[in-house]
Amino acid sequence: MSKRLTKLILFYLILVGLWQGLAFLKLWPEYIFPTPLGVLKTLLTGFEDKTFIIGILISMKRILIGYGLSIVVGLCVGLLIGRIKTLDETVGSLVLGFQALPSICWLPLALVWFGLSESAMLAIVILGSLFSIIIGADTGVKNVPPIYIRAARTMGAKEIQLYTKVIIPAALPSIISGFKQGWSFAWRSLMAAELLYVGLGLGHLLMMGRELNDMNQVIAVMIVIIIIGIVVDRLIFAKIENKVRERWGLT
Amino acid sequence: MSKVVHKSGQTEELKNLDKLKPNKIIDVRGAVCPHPLNLIRDSIISLKDNEILQAVCDHEPTAKENAPRFCTRRGYPLQVIEQNGVWQIFIQKIEKTEPRLRVLNVSKVFKTNHGRVTAIDNVDLTIQEGEFVCIVGPSGCGKSTLLNLIAGLDKPTQGEIWSNGNRVTGPGSERVVVFQEGALFPWLTVMQNVEFGLKLRQVPLEIRRTLALDYLKLVGLDEKFHNSFIHQLSGGMKQRVALARALVMEPAILLMDEPFAALDVYTRETLQEELQNIWTESHKTIVFVTHNVQEAILLGDRVIVFARNPGRIKAEYEIDITRPRKIDHPEVFLNTKWITDDIKEELEEPAYKADTREVVYK
Repeated sequence: MSKRLTKLILFYLILVGLWQGLAFLKLWPEYIFPTPLGVLKTLLTGFEDKTFIIGILISMKRILIGYGLSIVVGLCVGLLIGRIKTLDETVGSLVLGFQALPSICWLPLALVWFGLSESAMLAIVILGSLFSIIIGADTGVKNVPPIYIRAARTMGAKEIQLYTKVIIPAALPSIISGFKQGWSFAWRSLMAAELLYVGLGLGHLLMMGRELNDMNQVIAVMIVIIIIGIVVDRLIFAKIENKVRERWGLT
Repeated sequence: MSKVVHKSGQTEELKNLDKLKPNKIIDVRGAVCPHPLNLIRDSIISLKDNEILQAVCDHEPTAKENAPRFCTRRGYPLQVIEQNGVWQIFIQKIEKTEPRLRVLNVSKVFKTNHGRVTAIDNVDLTIQEGEFVCIVGPSGCGKSTLLNLIAGLDKPTQGEIWSNGNRVTGPGSERVVVFQEGALFPWLTVMQNVEFGLKLRQVPLEIRRTLALDYLKLVGLDEKFHNSFIHQLSGGMKQRVALARALVMEPAILLMDEPFAALDVYTRETLQEELQNIWTESHKTIVFVTHNVQEAILLGDRVIVFARNPGRIKAEYEIDITRPRKIDHPEVFLNTKWITDDIKEELEEPAYKADTREVVYK
């Protein structure tokens, strides 16, 4: 583990060193090719004058509301179409179709319906994550080994108990995978939507960097976005996923 | 000189032999069968209340203390009389008890892409309380289908199933099934698995825990595994948990669908022995499906042989061997050989034979 960490640190030191070296050569002006030091400085001042913190909070608020709504709706729909054949054959096909559509393609429609507003932003986040969550729950339910359901029924389980005590726990690994994928789609969609909308989120800070020709800020915001993505994906979802898989005996 | 042989093996002068006036007489002298009772079982079953059947055979019916068991179990008193080297068996039917399970003319037809397939054709079966019945047959003979119908997991195309005097319309916890494997819930611990059914019944935690502990002890699962997850257990331990999970529901009928088929030989033998012990203590009504004739004879009081195409009952045998039975018990061996010989064609040929459900009377 520590050997791996050493390799990792060494790799990034070399990468930053190369970057700084290229910057020293001054092949391009600084507003096109920023230096690591400049980026670091922007990062620090960004956090000091709270613009980055506000940006993070605003983006986080949007994603939490949108993603939360997605989870509630997606879970209900997914659990139902996984078990009810007619719903699967009708709504299920619609979900698969929409899943193929990148969520940013909803933006024109969202702008017409909701205007250039917070609601349009939420709509993009919801539409970005909803279908992955539905499909995760749906797949999970469909793949519950029939013998679990038969066993539970012979022990006297009714339909609602089947859902709460057997189907949902059995489908949980797949549901969590759906949540994880839904999260990353939601995060991507939100960033794309914020680029096009004035509203102080992280995407907006990126766009501001471009307008001010401040590539230091662009790179700094990109780093913030990457770090948030990694933290949520690796530290939260991957951990939950591993724990569930381990307990379910899938590893 | 005539004498009566009691269940205990004691003998006694029979004074009023002429009082036993049989309604039917069957002579099975010369039949090659270790248990003449098997040859007359159909006649016994068709007896009406208070009718007397007399059977004559030229050797002792079976070990003295075992012979009458299948009759007494059904409430038929039996007398065995030896007279000049000829054995007379008298059986009287005196009472009619409500059977635990009645399968009445049940058929099951599945619709497949290739058309309709008759999985079970007109099966009739009555199981009394406390009986251990094994259903044995080649794969695809519909024995598991019948078990599913009894469990209520599937509906018969024709016919009725009655359990404990109630018509079976769906699954219920008075007919719990122990499956072959893979039916335990991996997200629950051993203890939680055993408690599962009780939790559905909303039994309070303390009672649930106590009952689960009792049954885990009964099936002989080491305490250190009580909080393990299912994937941490061996195949034998899993089946012990599955058995505990079913028994804890205290079902009227325990249905077992090839529960030991996936285990290695040694584990299987241990579990067969323990199942026998559990049955001897509790006298649960058990319907046990297997493809293994020896297993059926080792465990069952009654062995029902299924034939395929379509699935139907080919023959029934009473197994009156003292318990606990061991796999290497000579009687188990003898019966296995006898029944296997009898159903050999069923096991080997792709059955187009006519129903040969008849016995050799001489």
